[in-house]
Amino acid sequence: MADESLLSDDLLRQLMATGHVDILVGLPTLNNAATVVDVVRSAQRGIAKYFPRARALIFNADSGSDDGTPALVRDATTDDTGTVSASRPLRTTNRITTPYHGLPGKGSAMRMIFAVADLLSADAVVTLDPNVTSVTPDWIPALAGPVRDGHADLVAPRYPRTAADGPLVTQLVRPLVRAAYGWTLSEPLMGEFGCSRAFATHCLELPALGSGGSDGVDLWMAAEALAKGFRPGQAALGPRLLGPSQRRLALPDVFQQVMDAVCACLELHDSYWLPRGAAAPVPCFGTLNGAAEPGARPDVTAMAGAFARDVAALHPVLETILTEQTLAGVTAAAATPAPLVYDDDLWAHTVFEFLLAYHRAVMTREHVTQTLLPLYLGRTAAFLMQHAKSDPATVDAAFESLCLAFERAKPSAAALWKKT
Amino acid sequence: MTAGDPLWFKDAVIYQLHVKTFFDSDGDGVGDFRGLTSKLDYLEALGVNTLWLLPTFPSPFRDDGYDIADYYSIHPMYGTMEDFQAFLAAAHERRLRVVTELVLNHTSDKHPWFMEARSARDNPRRDWYVWSDTDDKYRGVRIIFLDTETSNWAWDPVSKQYYWHRFFSHQPDLNYDNPAVREEMWQVMKFWAELGVDGFRIDAVPYLVEREGTTCEGMPETHEVIKFLRARLDQCFPGRMLLAEANQVPELVRPYFGDGDEFHMAFHFPLMTRMFMAIRLEDRGPLTDIIRRTPTLPENCQWAVFLRNHDELTLEMVTPEEREFMYDEYARDPVARLNLGIRRRLAPLLDGDRRRVELMNGLLMSLPGSPIVYYGDEIGMGDNVYLGDRNGVRTPMQWSGGWNGGFSTADPERLAFAMISNPVYGYQAVNVLAQERSGHTLLNWMRRLIRVRQSTRVFSRGSLMLLDPPNQRVLAYVRAFEKEQVLVVNNLSGTVQAVELDLSPLAGAIPVEMFGQSLFPRIGTQPYLLTLGPHAFYWFRLRRL
Repeated sequence: MADESLLSDDLLRQLMATGHVDILVGLPTLNNAATVVDVVRSAQRGIAKYFPRARALIFNADSGSDDGTPALVRDATTDDTGTVSASRPLRTTNRITTPYHGLPGKGSAMRMIFAVADLLSADAVVTLDPNVTSVTPDWIPALAGPVRDGHADLVAPRYPRTAADGPLVTQLVRPLVRAAYGWTLSEPLMGEFGCSRAFATHCLELPALGSGGSDGVDLWMAAEALAKGFRPGQAALGPRLLGPSQRRLALPDVFQQVMDAVCACLELHDSYWLPRGAAAPVPCFGTLNGAAEPGARPDVTAMAGAFARDVAALHPVLETILTEQTLAGVTAAAATPAPLVYDDDLWAHTVFEFLLAYHRAVMTREHVTQTLLPLYLGRTAAFLMQHAKSDPATVDAAFESLCLAFERAKPSAAALWKKT
Repeated sequence: MTAGDPLWFKDAVIYQLHVKTFFDSDGDGVGDFRGLTSKLDYLEALGVNTLWLLPTFPSPFRDDGYDIADYYSIHPMYGTMEDFQAFLAAAHERRLRVVTELVLNHTSDKHPWFMEARSARDNPRRDWYVWSDTDDKYRGVRIIFLDTETSNWAWDPVSKQYYWHRFFSHQPDLNYDNPAVREEMWQVMKFWAELGVDGFRIDAVPYLVEREGTTCEGMPETHEVIKFLRARLDQCFPGRMLLAEANQVPELVRPYFGDGDEFHMAFHFPLMTRMFMAIRLEDRGPLTDIIRRTPTLPENCQWAVFLRNHDELTLEMVTPEEREFMYDEYARDPVARLNLGIRRRLAPLLDGDRRRVELMNGLLMSLPGSPIVYYGDEIGMGDNVYLGDRNGVRTPMQWSGGWNGGFSTADPERLAFAMISNPVYGYQAVNVLAQERSGHTLLNWMRRLIRVRQSTRVFSRGSLMLLDPPNQRVLAYVRAFEKEQVLVVNNLSGTVQAVELDLSPLAGAIPVEMFGQSLFPRIGTQPYLLTLGPHAFYWFRLRRL
């Protein structure tokens, strides 16, 4: 249940005035002045257009922005909601902006959003990333609709992806979560999502939501939903474009956060995922429209170089983590940079063997995940080289092929996990 | 009766009734003026001070009397002119003013004027109506009765021309470009004013004059007609009142008040629709929006506000989304829908929920304007949507649980409209006699409500200041007139609500609840916390002692 110590008296007064809501749109912010106004407007328009009868609240939990983000959220208006002829909500769309207490980071913000959803008995909660510039009003019904219609407790996003777009998701998290948890969830690192009040209330008990971090929190919620029997769904959204002002973490930090979350979730949920078989389909609501944005292409040569260099340097460490066969494959791949080949099965076994090492704590767990990073760079570079000129359908087929490789690798890994 | 305050209509609480279905004195199944006269004590006890009667002119009754065949008489089934004059005198004895209908826009096609006009193209009355060789003129003008009419022109096979009609095809529009028509309608008005009628409710005002290339609504020439009639009325009968039916948004109704030289009053249609919308949405937005959009009136003018009347609950002035919402919430059964509206009475619209009925009446009596109570709504009467057109909300008044609900001694089959007889709203369950026997019935509650409203002029004449508490489910405002102030707080939702009101400008005042005279804590500079039960409302007289 909601931890009411989260809520200041002033916030409580605002919630008292708001009362029960049908839809709560949560915005966890930190210095998003450059992009947040358009996100709020999209949310307003989405509510007006698709849920004109709904009691709605746009709730902004701010982590101490110093660029005026809360004021922008408070004052953002749409110029088409005041006329009689245009779509406008029949009910007042409430808006609350509040700072939150606790550790800074998305986890704490999400906890506050969920606490408010719980307290106001929100029927559906939609969380948007305030740094995304491609949010449209259509995202609101896409994420909230399946929840309101009783088809899902958690609606994760689906975006069109190019080969180079979001490799941490496509090369690692998606196939791993799919194979382990047994669900075809495309975007376990949910930048935005919809969920039911029951799920929001459940998440209040998650320790991860009291921590900082960003990407790890999203994964925690996705994994928790799958493991605890909440009905998953996916919403086909358009491309996901990030604003220019995002203070992004360096790849090693993001990688560390995500791997920590993945490993911790697998530890916590092993009674669920170990016996799971082939992945069940997660229903997707809507059709993916719009081409993926190619974005900046990574420097694959540098990635491949780092891979070759680090595999050689870390060979003694890799010997304690990987099986002989896998290590041989990795070593061979690193030694043959042109063309670099790191195939799906080898990568799947690599990842699972790292997970086992993490589980067995053969060394400090942080060290395990750090050691995986250069291999991830190598695998990603190999994939990007292979698909530099592939059309979207070929890329999608390659993503699917990788997922199947992970599913094939899972049983042996699961058997070893159980023995440990 | 007509002497005294010329602004009497500002303090009016109006009771709208249909003579036809109010009380039948002679057992022919149709209400009449003698019957109505015998019920004036009831109306006086209710606390209303003005009666508005639906048309009682001779008529073929193809539009329930709004199709007039003779403007200088009353239909024999309602009695004689002597009966009418006796009623008028008895009403005035009780200080009840009487407002009658006057349909200026059109007549029945059975009116002798039209019969003459159509008889030959060169008939002197020909130009009293609007004729055309084709049905192309005024193309694009909207059709009002969408469910029954396909054109605003109808072919006259006698004179072989089309005639213009904005309503039913059997109601040809009069031609107000003809000065003889204006003069004749003044003579009609004068006739009834001389008998002592206190005011006229003018039907279908915007449509008097047509002009090519326009909507044919609210033409400048229409305002000239109104000014002409108003000037004559003021000159000959000072203190008489004109009430406009112009089913439009308040910005467009405002011109009908002119500079205080056209109508004294006009209905505020959107306010009515928004009240129903707000209580179902449990959100004050629709109401505060329309209140803010309502223009200020000349000092000698007043809005007429109402919850229900003899017509459908109009949904003409809402967005498509709002209309769909209203249909879903109030007329799920398509039979209840008529034209762009809903043909239902107050109680069934509100699912018979006493709390919501009380709240809606509380809003009606506390918002700016002179309130109108539609007959039978004070006891929570039901309707019969299967009677066709709008007749389902014009069924006989339910006076008792006996024969024909005490309305008539005629055989039930002979009644003008069948009684409501279902177990929930039927006359056996809902009637005046039963409700007079207990202090807590809707009827007695309505009597108290009207009495409290009439205990001050703050509601009838006062200004309104909307408050803006964070809780959108609560609608709060301060009415003020001279030295009096009343704080009104309404919970639009069906659940208990807490609300903090910024009453700091009223600091020092002591709120006294007006129904029970209970004292509340003195207002300070801090937010004033109130809790309200489901659909509860409070009226606080603010005292400074």
